[in-house]
Amino acid sequence: MSDLDRAIAQLRACRPIPETEVRELCHKARELLIEEGNVVTVNAPVTICGDIHGQFHDLMELFRVGGDVPDTNYLFMGDFVDRGFYSLESFLLLLCLKVRYPDRMTLIRGNHESRQITTVYGFYDECLRKYGSANVWRYCCDVFDYLALGAIVLGASYTLPASPGRPLATPPGADVEIEVCNADQQIISQFLRKGRGDPPNGSMENGVVQQSNGVSSSTPTNTGPPGSGASGSSGGSLGNPAGAVLCVHGGLSPLIDSIDKIRLLDRKQEVPHEGAMCDLLWSDPDEIDGWGLSPRGAGFLFGADIVKVFNQKNDLSLIARAHQLVMEGFKEMFDATIVTVWSAPNYCYRCGNVAALLELSEDDSGLGVLARSNGDVNRSDGGFPGGGAGPLRGVLTESEVDSKPLLPGPARRYRVFMAAAQDSRGMPAKKPVADYFL
Amino acid sequence: MHPPPPPPSSTRTHTQSTFRILTTKLPILKSDPIDALHARLGIPIPEMIFGDNLLSLTHLPTNWSLSFSAEPALDLVDKTGSNGSMLRVAYANEWSATREKTSSGIKEVVKPFDWSYSTTYKGTEVKGKGGKCFEKNEREEIPLELLKRRDPILFHDEVVLYESELDDNGISALTVKVRVMEQRMLVLCRFFLRLDNVLVRVRDTRVYVDFEEEKVVREWMSREDKFENVKKNLYMSGLMPDAITVALRDSNQVANLLPVVEHEVESVSLKSG
Repeated sequence: MSDLDRAIAQLRACRPIPETEVRELCHKARELLIEEGNVVTVNAPVTICGDIHGQFHDLMELFRVGGDVPDTNYLFMGDFVDRGFYSLESFLLLLCLKVRYPDRMTLIRGNHESRQITTVYGFYDECLRKYGSANVWRYCCDVFDYLALGAIVLGASYTLPASPGRPLATPPGADVEIEVCNADQQIISQFLRKGRGDPPNGSMENGVVQQSNGVSSSTPTNTGPPGSGASGSSGGSLGNPAGAVLCVHGGLSPLIDSIDKIRLLDRKQEVPHEGAMCDLLWSDPDEIDGWGLSPRGAGFLFGADIVKVFNQKNDLSLIARAHQLVMEGFKEMFDATIVTVWSAPNYCYRCGNVAALLELSEDDSGLGVLARSNGDVNRSDGGFPGGGAGPLRGVLTESEVDSKPLLPGPARRYRVFMAAAQDSRGMPAKKPVADYFL
Repeated sequence: MHPPPPPPSSTRTHTQSTFRILTTKLPILKSDPIDALHARLGIPIPEMIFGDNLLSLTHLPTNWSLSFSAEPALDLVDKTGSNGSMLRVAYANEWSATREKTSSGIKEVVKPFDWSYSTTYKGTEVKGKGGKCFEKNEREEIPLELLKRRDPILFHDEVVLYESELDDNGISALTVKVRVMEQRMLVLCRFFLRLDNVLVRVRDTRVYVDFEEEKVVREWMSREDKFENVKKNLYMSGLMPDAITVALRDSNQVANLLPVVEHEVESVSLKSG
């Protein structure tokens, strides 16, 4: 068993590894991450996860529900640390898995992967408590600076592969766009594809939920039969029937109108208080027109029109982001052009929310098979047919944007799960103590 | 979608003398109730909204009651941000200065409101038989010495009403806790705001009940200070820098360091005859 495998085993048991091993691990991780571009290209199938926040036992539950590494290809959208009790074990385990299986684990940066924020919200204290010095915190922060800012998922399928169990009365050949499963692989609800509109979120009713209009008749006319890869609108995404998915922790920035502009940022620094890098990690979608300023005096909010223009311009069908707690684990907004995924169940051990992960399956048409790419500027998207990222996913004039139809979204399976059982976390559930408060 | 199972018993009650105390604790609201609450209140709802949680206190003979819940508390948050209550995060000036050059087209603040969720909520009172209700009574005070006694606690609970992480700029939380002893009880509803590098605010509502006299005293105390002053005072009290960071998360460690900016006392006597 290699040192790395031993460290993984130890961390899986929620036991920290020695400081010297952390240093070595962080060093290796940095060497690996420095090679990644700001926007990593990931090929479906992939399982996309949101905030973890040091809830180690719930991360174990996530792996149980989503499948273990390296069997499942994971993409975590940041906020590994702070607030929970086991930020250290959670982050180091993810980092170990990244080093051990670099092509099966993608980590992008959240706003909590920052020196300033971790000092205030718990990770710093935790390192100090567990090691007696801030060295481990420093090693980890140095890794934070090298984490990618986003990822592009290519080759996601337009249709869902059959689930092991399909108890719902889905018509044969029905075109399921969204499926929600529980932790026991049972399908809770399905939504048939019917073009854009009426985005569901986790709050849909129990049982069979189907939007019955349009099994096949109302699918976008520019799209070929499922699996054929014939997407009439695939200007920049040849062989990628469902359009690409951008994953980022927070959201968009008014300084960024193309993904190439993200690629040009200098990311290897502490998260700044301003600028595009800050926005990508902090901004939120909101029910507004255009861009708005947060009433807090810092931070942007962006509306549906911003997302639609950005997606069209960049040949995206969907933006997946994290950053905001949603009770149902996921929330699709703006005609399913953006989704918030939240992966910390019973957040802060008291919110009682469920968590979710988002599975995108592989397009089996054979056209979407691409090598993983680090996504550097001017570098081909790893064997991407048609070559470089530049002209295809770059600039479009406004009129082109107007005439271009929205790319169809990939078929999405959300797996919803609850917090790990209390007895698995080795600590009693927090009960209010009978204190003589005044 | 299966909801998380409710905690073993989400509602607890305790009756002591002529008073009944009830607490309800449930998970944060789901999307639809949040949207409905948003529509009713007209402001964005804090991300941790325990909209079903409740602590109430009822005087059984008269039906007088005082309850604490999230919606009426949020209803008292300044919804327009127009009366100078608008706080800004510490780095707001720096942030907007750099934006002048690059994103100057974006000037509109989306729906300004007091996003710190500072509330003046003192509980929701329902008058008792004969119109009995709280009246100002500045001579009254809560007998702290009696409350310091280690009388056995017969019932206690702590209920969170809402909490916001202020986009990682601090914390804003409204919680209410209760302890019931044989002869008296105390409720503390505390609003705690720490806006990092800007200010610390604690607004306490204490409700004291003397079961024998069937008298209820409500004391409201609002305290606040600049963040740097609080930090300095913690340092002067002998804390090391790391301990100061920890102390700043705990309202109990900072409340008494803050100058009082508002104070009022009311009482109601519920004894019949």
